[in-house]
Amino acid sequence: MNTSAKTRTLVDGSRLIIEALAQAGADVYVGYPITPANWLYAYAQQRFPAFMAAPDEITALQWAAGFATTGKLPVTATSFPGFALMLETLNMMVMMELPVVIVLSQRLGPSTGSATTGAQGDLLLLRGAISGGYPIPVLTPSNLKDCWTLAGEAARIAVALRTPVVLLTSKEMVMTHHTLNVEDLPAILPVKWPLFAGDEGYQPYKVQDNGVPPFVPVGDSRFQVRFNASTHDATGLIRKATPEALANTRRLREKIIQHLPEFTYLEYHPGVNKQALVISYDISAEAARQALQEMAQEGDQPGLLVLKTIWPFPAKAWAIIEQYQHKIVVEENLSGLLAELIWGNRLPETVHPINQIGSLITPTQIKAEVRTWLQ
Amino acid sequence: MAAVESILATRNMPFCPGCGHTVVANMLAAALKELHIPPLDVIEVSDIGCCGLIDGVLKTHTVHGLHGRATALALGIRLGLENPEKKVIVIMGDGGATIGLQHLLEAARQNVDITVILEDNMVYGMTGGQVSGLTPEPLKEIKAPPESTVPPFDLVELVHVAGASYAAREIVGPKVKDRLKKALQTPGFALVEIVEMCPSHGLKKIKELEQFSRFPAVENETPHQPRKMTFQTRESLLNHLPRYPITTSTPLERTYRILIAGSAGGGVQSAGQLLAQAGIVAGSFATKKGEYPITVGTGFSVAEVILSPAPIYYTGIEIPDVAIIVSPDGWEKVQHRLNAETLLIVDQGLDIPESFRKKALPLQHTAGPKGAALTGIAYWLCSEGVLPLESLQQAIASHPRAALFLPLLEKGMQLAGQ
Repeated sequence: MNTSAKTRTLVDGSRLIIEALAQAGADVYVGYPITPANWLYAYAQQRFPAFMAAPDEITALQWAAGFATTGKLPVTATSFPGFALMLETLNMMVMMELPVVIVLSQRLGPSTGSATTGAQGDLLLLRGAISGGYPIPVLTPSNLKDCWTLAGEAARIAVALRTPVVLLTSKEMVMTHHTLNVEDLPAILPVKWPLFAGDEGYQPYKVQDNGVPPFVPVGDSRFQVRFNASTHDATGLIRKATPEALANTRRLREKIIQHLPEFTYLEYHPGVNKQALVISYDISAEAARQALQEMAQEGDQPGLLVLKTIWPFPAKAWAIIEQYQHKIVVEENLSGLLAELIWGNRLPETVHPINQIGSLITPTQIKAEVRTWLQ
Repeated sequence: MAAVESILATRNMPFCPGCGHTVVANMLAAALKELHIPPLDVIEVSDIGCCGLIDGVLKTHTVHGLHGRATALALGIRLGLENPEKKVIVIMGDGGATIGLQHLLEAARQNVDITVILEDNMVYGMTGGQVSGLTPEPLKEIKAPPESTVPPFDLVELVHVAGASYAAREIVGPKVKDRLKKALQTPGFALVEIVEMCPSHGLKKIKELEQFSRFPAVENETPHQPRKMTFQTRESLLNHLPRYPITTSTPLERTYRILIAGSAGGGVQSAGQLLAQAGIVAGSFATKKGEYPITVGTGFSVAEVILSPAPIYYTGIEIPDVAIIVSPDGWEKVQHRLNAETLLIVDQGLDIPESFRKKALPLQHTAGPKGAALTGIAYWLCSEGVLPLESLQQAIASHPRAALFLPLLEKGMQLAGQ
C-alpha cells in the first residue's frame, strides 16, 4: 500500500463553511442556535474573531447590521423559523447596502416542522424576500468542496457588492460527515471592502461605474456617514420617491444583476444526446450525481446541471437547459419550487419534477424517471 | 479647550410647532457642546416615527433603521467601533420602545455603552395619536376608554432592573440637559426618558404633562463595567482533525452501507464516526450521518455509515448491507428499512423475527449500554474481515475517550472467537 504526503479526513459541511468564512475575513458571528444550523453556531463560537449570542433572530440580524456599519463583516446561520424573523432586517440591510452572510440550513416545514429532518423548501421565500422583487445573491453548495469555496465566495460578494448573501443549504449537507482530501481545498482570498479613496466629496450612496457606492464606516473623523433603511438619495437622507431617490432604489437591483456573471457557479456534465437533463442543487444533487454515475455504467448518459448560483437565476444555466428536450428537476419539497422558479407555476410538458418530503430523494427514483424520458 | 461645532446644521427643526422633540434636540446639542464632543464623534441611530426626522438637521453620523430596532442596531455599532471615544446615541419614541422592548432590556442587561433618548410623547404621533404602551391611564380614558384600566410600562424601572448603568426620567424642561450630560458621561447603558408634549395628537402644555404623567421624575445610577468586544485571531478548525495519509489502494473490496441503531446516550453516533474514520484510515472513502429525534437525549439514535473504495455522492442508505442494532429503540426505528439481504448483528435480548439473516450476541451484557454499538462494529469487522481491526484501533487512538473505547475492540474480537 503506497502512501503520499497528502491526507484525508472526515469532516462535515458546517465546519468547512465556518472555517472558510473566517479565512475570508468574517469578523463576527451573531446568532441564535437552531437545528439544523446549530453546528455552524458551535464552530463559529470556537473560530470567529468575535461571537455574540443574541436573544432572538430579529436581534441577531440587527446586531449584525450594526457591526457592518462599522466595517466588520458579520455572519449568522439559521433555519426557516429564525430566517422568518430576520426578514424585516434583511430588507433593511439591502436598503442600507450592508454586507452579511446568512447560512440558511433548510429543514422540514411548514412552521417549526421537524427540526432534525432535512428539506429544500425555502427557495421561493428567498426569491421573494425583498419587498419589490430586489434580488439577493443565493449560493447553494452541493458537496464539501462547495461548502468551502462558496462560503468564501459568499463573503467576497457580500462585501464587494455591499449586500446580504444567502448560502442556502440543508440539514444533510451541513450535518453529514464526508471524506475530504484536505490538500484539495483551494486558498480562500480575503474579502476586499470597496473603501472610498478620495480626500473630499464623500456621499454615502454616490456610486461609481460598478454600481456599488464606496464605503466609509460610521464614526469616521473626516466624512459624515449616513445609512438609511428608508427611500433615500445619494446623501443617505430620507426622500419621498424623488427621481434621484427612486434611481438609487432601482440601482439596488441593477448592481446585483450587473455582477451576476462574476458569481455564476454551476456544474454541468453534458448528455450524449440532448434528450434528458437532470437539474438539481444542494443535497439532492448528490443523489443525482450517484444516479448518473450508475446510469453511465449501464450505458445511458443524460445531462446533469447542478446549480450553485441559484438566484438571480443565471443566464448561463438557461443556455444549457434550453438545449435539452426533457428536463428532470430533483428537489426535496412538495411542489417543485426550483421548477417553479425556472418556469413559473404552469410547467411545460417537457419538465418532470421529482419531489418528496421527509427523506432524501434516492438515486433509484431519479434513474427510473430519467429512463422514462430517454426512451 | 476649543469650542466644538454644534451637531445641529440649522435652527429650523422638522417638527410641528410646539413639539417636545425640538426642545430635546436643542438640549442634546447643548449637552454635547458642553462636553466638547464634536459632531463626527457622534453616531446617532434614529428610530421610526417623528423623532427620526431629526437626521436631516444633524451633522453627526446618522443611521436610520427600522421601527423599534434602533437600540439593537446601536448595540452592534457600539461593539463594532474600536474607538471608545465615539458616542452612540439612540433617539426613539414610545412606540419604538415597546416594539423593541427586548432590545432595550438586552442592551441594558449587557450594559453596552450607548445612550438612549426616549422621547415619550405618550402617543403614536406619526400615525394619528393612537395610544402606546407608555400612555398613562388618564390619557387613555380620553383616547381609548376600553384600554384605560391597563397601566403603562415603567421603562426606566425596567431597564434599571435589567442592568442599565444609568436610567432617568424627566418632564421636558431645563433639567433635561443635565440628565443627558450625565447619560453621555456614563460608561455603559444609559436611558433618559423625556415626557413630552405632542401638539398635534397628545398633550400640549407642560402643566398637562405633570398632571397626566403616571410616573415621577427619577434618576437611578448603578455604575458598573460596560460590555466590551475584542476581535482576536483564533486557531483553524482544520488543525486538530485526525488526518490520515492517502493510500493508493484499500483492503475494502466493495461498498458497504451500515446502519447502527440504538438509544440516545448509547454511543451510537461516536461509534459510527469511528467506523467511518477507520474506513479512511484503511484508504477508503466514508460518510457518516446521524438521525435522532428532536429531543436528542431520549429515544432512538441511528448512525448511517457508508464505506466505499470509490468517492461517495449519495449519503442515504436505501437497503443497508449491515445493521448493528443494540436496543429496542434502535430496532423500532430501523426494522422497516431491512430486508432478507441485510446482515443483522443484534443484541441477543432483542426479539427479531426468524426471517432475518441475523447474528445475536450478548453486546449489552459484554460491553454495557454505552459500549454495545462499538463492540458490535468490532465484531463485524473481525468476523467478516471487511477492514483490518487495526484501522479501527488507529481511529480510536486519536479520540479523547480512547482509553474507554480500546477495550471494546478486545470484546468484539472475543465475540468473533478471535
